[in-house]
Amino acid sequence: MYKTIINIALKNAYLRKSRAILLILMISLSMGVMLSIEGLYDGLAANMIDKSKRSDSGEISIYAKEYRENKDMKFNIKNTQDIITELKSIDGVSSVVSRFSIQGLSQSATKSYPSSLVGVDFEDEEVFGKFSEFVEVGDLNLGKRGCAIGKELAKNLKLHLGSKVIFTARDAHGDIQSIMFRIKAIINSTNITIDNQTIFTNKSRVLSYAGVAQNTSTQIAIRTASNSCITIIKDKFQNYDAKDFKELNPMLKQMQDMMKIFNKVTFFIVMFVVFIGILGVMYVSILDRVREFGIMLALGYKYTYIRTQVIFEALFLGLGGFVFGSILGFILLYILKHHGLDLSKFADGMASFGMANILYANIKLIYFTSSFFAIIFASILSVFLPLKKIKNLNPTEVIKADS
Amino acid sequence: MIKLQNIQKYFYKGEPREVHALNDISLTIKKGEFLALTGSSGCGKTTLLNAIGVLDSIDSGEIYLGNKEISQLTKDEKTDIRLNDIGFVFQAYNLVPVLNVRENISFIMKLQGTAQEIIDARVIEVANILEIQDKLDSLPSLLSGGQQQRVAVARAVASRPKIILADEPTANLDSKNSKALMDMMRELNRVEDVTIVFASHDEFVVNSVDRVIKLDDGKLL
Repeated sequence: MYKTIINIALKNAYLRKSRAILLILMISLSMGVMLSIEGLYDGLAANMIDKSKRSDSGEISIYAKEYRENKDMKFNIKNTQDIITELKSIDGVSSVVSRFSIQGLSQSATKSYPSSLVGVDFEDEEVFGKFSEFVEVGDLNLGKRGCAIGKELAKNLKLHLGSKVIFTARDAHGDIQSIMFRIKAIINSTNITIDNQTIFTNKSRVLSYAGVAQNTSTQIAIRTASNSCITIIKDKFQNYDAKDFKELNPMLKQMQDMMKIFNKVTFFIVMFVVFIGILGVMYVSILDRVREFGIMLALGYKYTYIRTQVIFEALFLGLGGFVFGSILGFILLYILKHHGLDLSKFADGMASFGMANILYANIKLIYFTSSFFAIIFASILSVFLPLKKIKNLNPTEVIKADS
Repeated sequence: MIKLQNIQKYFYKGEPREVHALNDISLTIKKGEFLALTGSSGCGKTTLLNAIGVLDSIDSGEIYLGNKEISQLTKDEKTDIRLNDIGFVFQAYNLVPVLNVRENISFIMKLQGTAQEIIDARVIEVANILEIQDKLDSLPSLLSGGQQQRVAVARAVASRPKIILADEPTANLDSKNSKALMDMMRELNRVEDVTIVFASHDEFVVNSVDRVIKLDDGKLL
């Protein structure tokens, strides 16, 4: 019996071409646009989080107690190398870097800005977060007196590649000291803190300038392959201030959550539109075929068969729309993932929110699976209202009307 | 075979425009009969045909198919009676447009759950009798009116129902096709021993049957 019903449903889905094309086109286009938006939202959030992790916090960072509240270099980690060795022995830790940061003032000939001087080991940073990818202009061969400066800070100080910049801060003994750098690289990390107020140079030079021992750091950042590592590190380093990414960047976490909400709202709106579209097309299609259904009822086809047939028709069309929509969506996502959406025209505005000029999309299986279930659900739901019109159909009325 | 006792049927009952469509109809139709219900337009012949075919309900009276009273059955039970015991031929052919001729003819047998090989053999057999064997893979929209009506007859007869009810089957056919249809129906009646009841005011149909039942204003004359 079901074979016969499915066969009729298939033929109806296939032979009523204008209806099928209209529905499939509508579902495909909606789905393609929805997947692109989902991918871009997710990609935007993931990109910001990824860059923040790579340029700063990693999955988890260790600080001396009170450092984060005071940003005073006297709250530092003295046995950096021992801690790094211990961290590297933990399963799942993929890389570790130590940094030494001093708060002070950067000056050009005409301007000065509050900023941070961060001493890093660029080789370690490359392993940690491919730091060289953040270099917009110049390179990381800093030499003896070179530095890399955040893009916005350079802009505010009106400095460019090759310019000199002076950093002034209080050293470990409380004396005000200045140090001069020549700008060798300009950094664009889309991490607002770094781009707006950070100068990077070799760690040993910063430590000497600050007058602290070489084995000292203010932050040890760790990349991990699993969440369980984070718990282990937090447990192991309870004497320090060990904070994971979410705790260090609540705004980014909040933004990611907001993007998820945007995605859900977009998903709901698009699926609602799809539902209304399918409902409209199926409604007209079913009402157009009242006579046909009446004849079938007269011949011995039960209402339950009609219901099953119409549900299958909607399912076939929904699946058709899903298949084409998935192909279209995947193509769009693939292009957006590899070529991005260039929003350079809005670069300044986007930079102020810590966003990159080019948005790259994510591709996740969940986009397709959730769309699949939503379309199937919408397809099934859309036929129940028009089917109500058929349920109480008296075949004689239809036959009489057309005789 | 079919027995109707004191059938009453009203349209718009209780309203000012009430119509007494069937007025105390009692009638017996024997197995293998070839008969026509006739009368002027609006006399109640289609209403009576629909009542026999349990397509429409009646207000009072009894309808027996064999020994079974069928007028008070549930909707699904009536559908089963129509599926298994009655074949219909309508004025407007009423073929399923997305099914080809072969599928239209086998439609009822498939609903009945008949084995595929039996269906295939029966479709060929009936198609040969009705001379539509070369149209089996065509969609109804590609057939002429006469060919479509033959397919409708084939569909009605293929499942070997006890009775075929044909409502104005020649109304949309020219005289040549009308004659061909009636000849075929007569042949089916003879070969398959199937009871055939026409509702028609077509003189040609009335003159072709063995028994004529006349109705006027819902009453048997």
